[in-house]
Amino acid sequence: MESEHSSYATKPTRFTVFMRTFLPWQLWRFAAINLKMIGIIRRSHRGDSRK
Amino acid sequence: MPPGGGRAPGRTVLGVGVSRVVVLGAGISGHTAAAFARSWLGRGDTVTVVSPRPDYNWVPSNIWVGVGLMKPAQVTIPLAPIYERAGIEFVLASAREIHPEGDPQDASPYITAESADGAITRVPYDFLINATGPALRFDKTEGLGPDGGHSLSVCLPQHAAQAAAALEEEVERMRKGEPRRFLVGVGHGTCTCEGAAFEYIVNLEFELRNRGVRDKAEITWITNEYELGDFGMGGMHLKRGGYITPSSIFNASLFAERGIDWITRAHVSRVEPDRVLYETLDGSEREQGFDFAMLLPPFSGVGLKAFDREGGEITERLFMPNEFMRVDANYTATAYEDWKASDWPRTYQSPDYGNIFAAGIAFAPPHAISVPRKSPNGTIIAPAPPRTGMPSAMIGKAVASSIVDMIGGAEAPTHTASMAEMGAACVASAGANPFTGTAASMTVFPIVPDFERYPEYGRDKDRTFGEIGLAGHWIKILLHHLFLYKARLRPGWRRIPE
Repeated sequence: MESEHSSYATKPTRFTVFMRTFLPWQLWRFAAINLKMIGIIRRSHRGDSRK
Repeated sequence: MPPGGGRAPGRTVLGVGVSRVVVLGAGISGHTAAAFARSWLGRGDTVTVVSPRPDYNWVPSNIWVGVGLMKPAQVTIPLAPIYERAGIEFVLASAREIHPEGDPQDASPYITAESADGAITRVPYDFLINATGPALRFDKTEGLGPDGGHSLSVCLPQHAAQAAAALEEEVERMRKGEPRRFLVGVGHGTCTCEGAAFEYIVNLEFELRNRGVRDKAEITWITNEYELGDFGMGGMHLKRGGYITPSSIFNASLFAERGIDWITRAHVSRVEPDRVLYETLDGSEREQGFDFAMLLPPFSGVGLKAFDREGGEITERLFMPNEFMRVDANYTATAYEDWKASDWPRTYQSPDYGNIFAAGIAFAPPHAISVPRKSPNGTIIAPAPPRTGMPSAMIGKAVASSIVDMIGGAEAPTHTASMAEMGAACVASAGANPFTGTAASMTVFPIVPDFERYPEYGRDKDRTFGEIGLAGHWIKILLHHLFLYKARLRPGWRRIPE
């Protein structure tokens, strides 16, 4: 049975859940997320990097 | 020696170098600091690590030990051979005292450390990095913790292995048709590391599904967060689907989708064999039953003491009441509305002793990040600020860099790593399987919100993002192997970012 909390929460559609493990899409997301993270890491290292 | 100079030398001998850098702790921050300092310092200088544990632990993967997918040996590596190869002196002992002015006979600063057999070692230093991490304060809540208490933990590999064994027993009971209640979260109103507990609960749910017993399990999350998804960072706002959406929505969605119920704004006051008693922000006292509870403890500093040259105690000068070390932060007590990003430390140098630094969890944050809240009974129910993982390593590296420059003649720290100026990339596992697993990949910039720079949400909306999917799990696996490779100081380790 669904809890009271959960009935007020946003839930993903079947398509969204499918895309989370759909290999071609996830391969693309793997590249995209890595690029985003590298950007954050590079920006964050500005203060500690040695010249 | 000039900044950025010589490669690591061969073996070093304790106390005979030109400059002696001593690192207390060999966790993510301490190990990073020691490795970089050794790599940048010259042949005559020594780097010494003092740690009570013989192994390095890649803590983020303890979650997988806790659900039985990994063994402790897969998340730990012995430090002694690594340090021997790198030319780092290793003292297997717990740091006890700091004597920043030496003693009446010798003004050289030193620390004392106690080994398992009770022997006291005196380790002299020219520069000291306190990276001792947290003390796990299970004692703050009656009945909390795996050692004499009624709940489990994943803070240490052996704790996680205990949790995995207990989980296995629960699975066996459920296979026989017995319904079981699982409670996961934090065991005190002032805990931090909600993110780790979050990873544990979603991995637990995933594993119960995989083992075919999910229908027998009632899973509940208990947290001191005001809203789900706060994680001690005041939550975050993500651009998604044409909206700027708070992380609480995503967190609630994740739980609802997985049939996990939740209790927020809670301070666990007592853990009994089959239930927790907790107080909520509105002051009410409640209880929640369980058959299996994994509750993280609150943290404090490790209780180092400090003494002046005459032997008078100066612990209060170096440390805050929570036993974390004072650094270059603004510790003036102010109202939440007056908190500023610039309150957060940049160089991590002790204000009293220029040759002492604190890195990682060991430094005292100037204040929380989440809004501070108290119940009508005066109980603090608000998460403490997280400073694990990526920021810990970056702080360790920046501190090592400054020390190397100071040894080379710089008068003040030359490198900074403010949590209000750096971002963080975080991958929270939500189920470990190469084809059906998922993880939430997140970035925030900056970690500590800066409302002067980003008035609306305190963070850069374009650099703060999150999504869940299989790609995140692959990244999590990649990071596990990459960071263990880096911790082994294998060829090219310096090129792997923190």
